[in-house]
Amino acid sequence: MENQDEIPVEPETESSTFISAYEADDWSNYKDSDVMLQQSAIFEEDAAKSPFVGDKEPLSSLEAEYKSGSPILLEKIKVLSEQYAAIRRTRGDGNCFFRSFMFSYLEHILESQDIAEVERIKTNVEKCKKTLQGLGYADFTFEDFFALFIEQLESVVTGNEAPISHDELIVRSRDQSVSDYVVMFFRFVTSGEIRKRSEFFEPFIFGLANLTVEQFCKTSVEPMGEESDHVHITALSDALGVPIRVVYLDRSSCDTGGISVNHHDFVPASDDNDTSSSAAGGSDPNPNPNPNPIPFIVLLYRPGHYDILYRK
Amino acid sequence: MQASRARLFKEYKEVQREKVADPDIQLVCDDSNIFKWTALIKGPSETPYEGGVFQLAFSVPEQYPLQPPQVRFLTKIFHPNVHFKTGEICLDILKNAWSPAWTLQSVCRAIIALMAHPEPDSPLNCDSGNLLRSGDVRGFQSMAKMYTRLAAMPKKG
Repeated sequence: MENQDEIPVEPETESSTFISAYEADDWSNYKDSDVMLQQSAIFEEDAAKSPFVGDKEPLSSLEAEYKSGSPILLEKIKVLSEQYAAIRRTRGDGNCFFRSFMFSYLEHILESQDIAEVERIKTNVEKCKKTLQGLGYADFTFEDFFALFIEQLESVVTGNEAPISHDELIVRSRDQSVSDYVVMFFRFVTSGEIRKRSEFFEPFIFGLANLTVEQFCKTSVEPMGEESDHVHITALSDALGVPIRVVYLDRSSCDTGGISVNHHDFVPASDDNDTSSSAAGGSDPNPNPNPNPIPFIVLLYRPGHYDILYRK
Repeated sequence: MQASRARLFKEYKEVQREKVADPDIQLVCDDSNIFKWTALIKGPSETPYEGGVFQLAFSVPEQYPLQPPQVRFLTKIFHPNVHFKTGEICLDILKNAWSPAWTLQSVCRAIIALMAHPEPDSPLNCDSGNLLRSGDVRGFQSMAKMYTRLAAMPKKG
């Protein structure tokens, strides 16, 4: 049965071409599967151009990028190069913040073999799990992502086996079945933290996106490929208890004259916020003995994108 | 592939457990292929779909749950966000707003919610969308009800 014939629809002026049955036939040839195939083809094209996590490059490669660009940026890169030696790029697929954080964190653990830090973050991961359970998430929706992160974490420290090599860490970070699962783990953790402390995050979210906390988490945190903002960074840093420094490279200049590069340190809120109710049980007796001087994770922010920075 | 299989198996067990809790949804996995599912959902009450039973077909990609399942109506339905011919569904969580926090079961719930709350501003069925957008609620409801009777209800006699 053909419904087009039965309903007297007044053709709208702007979409009258769309209404003809022939056009509709053409459109019906485009199925969701076609759209998704095309989308994945585009992703693959991008993938060929840049891996999820790139190679370490000297900071001069950043300078080369802006050679004929804004003089303010070139000045700022010069300032940056006094403190930072190298950059590692990540793919601009909307997951760059989480991906940068993943690599930077695991690389730090691999190099420092900081067992205390590993134990500390494991405790936090366990709390995040309880948070999600408290919020009503079914275990099977997130447990695979949690398990994969713990697996990666354990693979970079000396346990029963020797830690994986640095090259292997890079290989894994570029392997979609590992890399995307860890990104998704961070997305769950971030979403759980925001929802647990919704009163705290609400005004920031409202200012950013004019959405409720619930809507924000559903549309801008949990789906892969959704870009991160300071709300995400704050939540992830708080939830895992890992400080993050973000260095901003943009065109803003100070009125006072001299060029400087702004940075912001996201320092985890002290444990167990009073506003949280769902994370009850077993509050941490450890009052953060070391009020972290400088975060070991340093990310370079350029509008819309995060990469990893390395100190000198 | 292995990850998606494991996840679907967990969903399968969960579906068996939830059967009683959610009588409006009957989700069944294909006997021989865990990537193919069908669902029978009841049209929500106080909508033109009330009394109808609608069949959905799920095709789950290998990258599940990082990528959403493809879902379409097998039963003909007159709804602004469902393609009248192909049964394709326009729903954000089946596209860019998908996340692994969703399950096949909760997707069914979201589709039932969409049946009760159509979004005529992003129509896949323009005729249906135009009726609602022009304020002809009665016209929309009678068309939708007619198709529910024709396609989604057991034949009498």
